[in-house]
Amino acid sequence: MSNTANTYSLEKWLHIFFGVGLLIVFFLPWVFWKDTPIHGYYMPSGRFFHISGTQFNLENPFPQFSFTFYIFWLIPILAGVTIILAYRQRRTTWTAFITAALTLSLVTVFYLFTKTLIDLGIGDNVFSMLKISAYLAAIFAIGLILTAIPPVNWLKKMAWLLVGPLFAFLGFMLVENYVWNETHEDTNTVKADYTVNASDLIRDFAANDTAANNKYREKILVVNGVVSQAEHMTDSTTNIQFADSTGSYIIFSFDKEQYEKVKNIQAGDVVSAKGSCSGSIFSEILGTTSISFKRSTLNKNKQ
Amino acid sequence: MKKTTLVLALIFATGAVFAQKRTTSSATVTFDATTPKDALPKAENKTVIASFDPKTGAVAFEAAVKNFAFSNPKMQEHFNSANWMNSDQYSKFTFTGIVEKVSKVKLTKNGTYEVKVNGTLTIKDISKPLKANARLTVKDGKLSVVSNFSIKLSDYNITGQPVESGKVLKEPKVTVTAQF
Repeated sequence: MSNTANTYSLEKWLHIFFGVGLLIVFFLPWVFWKDTPIHGYYMPSGRFFHISGTQFNLENPFPQFSFTFYIFWLIPILAGVTIILAYRQRRTTWTAFITAALTLSLVTVFYLFTKTLIDLGIGDNVFSMLKISAYLAAIFAIGLILTAIPPVNWLKKMAWLLVGPLFAFLGFMLVENYVWNETHEDTNTVKADYTVNASDLIRDFAANDTAANNKYREKILVVNGVVSQAEHMTDSTTNIQFADSTGSYIIFSFDKEQYEKVKNIQAGDVVSAKGSCSGSIFSEILGTTSISFKRSTLNKNKQ
Repeated sequence: MKKTTLVLALIFATGAVFAQKRTTSSATVTFDATTPKDALPKAENKTVIASFDPKTGAVAFEAAVKNFAFSNPKMQEHFNSANWMNSDQYSKFTFTGIVEKVSKVKLTKNGTYEVKVNGTLTIKDISKPLKANARLTVKDGKLSVVSNFSIKLSDYNITGQPVESGKVLKEPKVTVTAQF
């Protein structure tokens, strides 16, 4: 009888230890992306994707669902509840299991996302980028499941150990699959960020190319002007240019899918073209500035 | 006598026109780093500026890095990112070189020539020597150039997990085509 009581007591204090440990490590850095520490709580606070987007150009592909990450605030909340319940010798299975499953899924997300950053050239080894707090979080979560009060059978324990990482892994794979199979939105249907006259755009780049590049690069522009040159290639692609008196020019590249729309364009035509601005380069060969556009189309709705 | 002078003058004038440096702003560069593991790292830029001087054999091209169009937005983002092409800082690729034995290329009559080009390719401000074969085709006074070659990504400090894991070809194939 005394032995059983001691065992329960040991399990209770172990359970509390794991709960307290989890509560602490949740607020510590789990991973370093270059020199930037990423804490466990950065996911529900939104800083996780803010840093990945602003510093490493890897944004949340579904920002509209960012609110779902608030669920990870349940980790410290339920860890706290579990500690209190365990201290009072109450049943902790549900709070402990949910806390642990969420923690293990969060550790899985940190692991998978860091691997994706490595693909971008940020860091070499995911295991060295993950810090001791992330490993401890996983250990404490496992401990929390194994010492839940009252003890449950091993099948249940195994299920709770696996459910978090499994959901995180499947979710991550689904998102990754979506991202890699995505294609650019049809330029025709994308709302233009700017509508400009060709001469004004060339003037903007001539006045301050750094500012103009920052403003227009990778933005969708509608450019209105008089075509200075139209080249219809043998592969059914077309390039049209708008040039100014200095020889600086804007060039739109049209894919063969656009051929029917652009095949009759000639120098001297007034045209409204729409495309993704790639910014400017100064050409040593031509001695002029070239502003190029990709994914171009003729603008249906002249603005 | 006058007629002969006129014919000679015309021949010289025609020769001078043919011998002038030719430029285009619609050359194409395709970049293919696809592997059996990943079919996405492939792009094309159709607004490449190129020049060819038939007299000296000097060739050059400049390609805006950001105008390489990928089918997948994320791949395009990765290609331009700071750790890969860093196109915000290094906005263009450049090549300058010389066509060997250019004198054998006759721009006045139709024909095809297999030539060798020696030059320097600069990516991210890193310049490396490059030797490539090219095919020059003259048709009705117009000159077309096609050249295929490979580049070593590691020469330009482009390394990383996708390259090491075989998702991206270590030596992507590059094709340059231009019509002058």
